[in-house]
Amino acid sequence: MGMLATAADYCSAIEEAVGPDDLCAAIAAIALDLGFDHFALTHHVDIRLAARSSIRLHNYPDDWVEFFDHNRLAVSDPVHRASHVTSVGFTWANLPRLITMTPGDQRILALARKQGLGEGFTVPAHVPGEARGSCSFASRAGRPLPRAVLPLAQLAGAFAFEGARRMWRAAELGPEPHPVLTDRQRDCLIWVARGKSDWEISRIVGISQETVVRHIKQARERYGLDKRTSLLMRTLFDGTISFTDIFRR
Amino acid sequence: MLQIFENGGRPAEAEALAVMFEARKRVFVDLLGWDVPVVAGRYEIDQFDDRYARYIVLTTAGGEHLASARLLATTRPHILGNLYPKLCEKAVPVGPEIAEITRFCLDRRLRAAERFQVRNQLVSALVDDALATGIRCYTGVAEIAWLQQILSFGWICRPLGLPQTIEGKLTGALAIEISAETPALLARANIYVRSQTLAGEFSHAA
Repeated sequence: MGMLATAADYCSAIEEAVGPDDLCAAIAAIALDLGFDHFALTHHVDIRLAARSSIRLHNYPDDWVEFFDHNRLAVSDPVHRASHVTSVGFTWANLPRLITMTPGDQRILALARKQGLGEGFTVPAHVPGEARGSCSFASRAGRPLPRAVLPLAQLAGAFAFEGARRMWRAAELGPEPHPVLTDRQRDCLIWVARGKSDWEISRIVGISQETVVRHIKQARERYGLDKRTSLLMRTLFDGTISFTDIFRR
Repeated sequence: MLQIFENGGRPAEAEALAVMFEARKRVFVDLLGWDVPVVAGRYEIDQFDDRYARYIVLTTAGGEHLASARLLATTRPHILGNLYPKLCEKAVPVGPEIAEITRFCLDRRLRAAERFQVRNQLVSALVDDALATGIRCYTGVAEIAWLQQILSFGWICRPLGLPQTIEGKLTGALAIEISAETPALLARANIYVRSQTLAGEFSHAA
């Protein structure tokens, strides 16, 4: 059977899945068919804090998952970090080419190997305005990575992630709509992100310093946040502002 | 404002099209670094911008470019058929009911929030245009970086072959099914905006 027919079969299997368990089984079967042992499809957020709205499907060894969650690794896992700097699938052996590996990162990978996870291939999944995510396929420790199928795994990962998004959306488990800022609040916020002081922003935008402070305070209140830094992070995350807005020439 | 230019645009429409060609140069040449021809140092125009090309363009009421896409007939020279047929594992899909989406362009000046709105309107307009003109399938060549976003629009997509590295970028070919149900699929993904409501909006967008 040609690779394309196989890809079409994977797409159908993902589309026909009727619930998270079914989808999990379908992706597990795809992982096996590709020559891997495990898969994990997830949004990169702290799953313990965001259980309702974030996606996670996997068949990793239980011990590893428990360790991973307990240590809140979702936001610092080197594999997840690397998938934020590329949109193309990568093997875990290539991690040092994508990110600077800290001793802590090396420890995580060593621990994963101890729990039975060997080499892996991760497909980054970035939908603008949503949490970043990925779909990883992993081999048992000691088993070689099925290299020939990586382009197919790239497609499978992307379609699997979209399949999961659709399912979460249909179940109304998707993220709550984020607060909306006024244009003025957003303008002020962009200048904050560019490192300008309230006084400088007041000169640039042509309003009083008090008004600048009020705009930013009200923006924080809309998001229910105490700190400006948190507001910057959240608005960058949900797409209210973008890096392009900040670094626009 | 939604504008559709047929057959490469009439002479009277040349000015409106020039605005789009300039925007395309800012995005595809200046921003993305594509190796495509630039005319008069300002306009990104290639061999497919001929008298058969169809353009879907969104502008402000003042005529400023917001977003655009070029549609090529697959029965004539087009990107997948002529430049990258190797991206298709089987024969390149061609026919009077199949069009190729190329140069999907969101203006560089759009800010994040406007970008989402404008993108959704362009995608919706592409679907509406297909339904109005009897197109049942779109094809397209896209960098893998775009794939997840294209899938997230909610329409039904199928790969036409395995992604391959072209000029250093992992690239794939996709087919997108268009049917009477497609607007509802887009709506379910919170993408669909009816084209009729477009005129007059976005006068605030620079």
